[in-house]
Amino acid sequence: MRTINTRFGEVEYDPDNLLHFPAGMIGFPTLHDFIVMPNKKEGPLFWIQSADDPAIAFVITDPSNFFLDYQAEPDESIKNALKISDNDDCYVLSVVTVPKDQQITLNLVAPIFFSPKTNRAIQVILENTEYKPKTPLPA
Amino acid sequence: MLVLTRKAGEGIIIGDDIKIKIVEIKGGGIRIGIDAPKERKIYRQEVYDRITEENKTAIQWDMDALNSLSANLSKEKKDK
Repeated sequence: MRTINTRFGEVEYDPDNLLHFPAGMIGFPTLHDFIVMPNKKEGPLFWIQSADDPAIAFVITDPSNFFLDYQAEPDESIKNALKISDNDDCYVLSVVTVPKDQQITLNLVAPIFFSPKTNRAIQVILENTEYKPKTPLPA
Repeated sequence: MLVLTRKAGEGIIIGDDIKIKIVEIKGGGIRIGIDAPKERKIYRQEVYDRITEENKTAIQWDMDALNSLSANLSKEKKDK
């Protein structure tokens, strides 16, 4: 086990169990490895902590918790990046923005695709989409 | 930044695997064709910048907000 002193305190993690972003998150191309943090509280939100930069963490959720008809399909290039084939599971996650007033928004235009088999993930920008980077929760 | 002058129909090669071609120059716009390996993501700059900006906003949160949000969201779910 290793520890990292994050802005939320010390976090212990298993270096063999990191979520690997070969291309980093968009805007953070050098941050390749994230610790998936278990949710202390109940609910659909969890967070990932960069193992490379203690200051960087994202709140994440499964968008289908809020948007039942949300659709984002991994194309060939995404499957290649995740090192998975057509039969392997691939989950879609969204980055959550938590402003001061706590009216959270989901970035539905730039989902994270994640493979539980390879522990790899990639954030991509959807093309020709009506989805918005700041989508409020449905009323 | 490297700056090159190109005419319509001319191109640029980056490394061994990325080819950029000036397809057409018309009005104030330039149509560009790009050949690159499939795993190379290609985005319009302003689209990429918008997502970078949103990610940089998204890292500004605190644990108290997440905890209180989680409590409210799981309560809403139970109420439904």
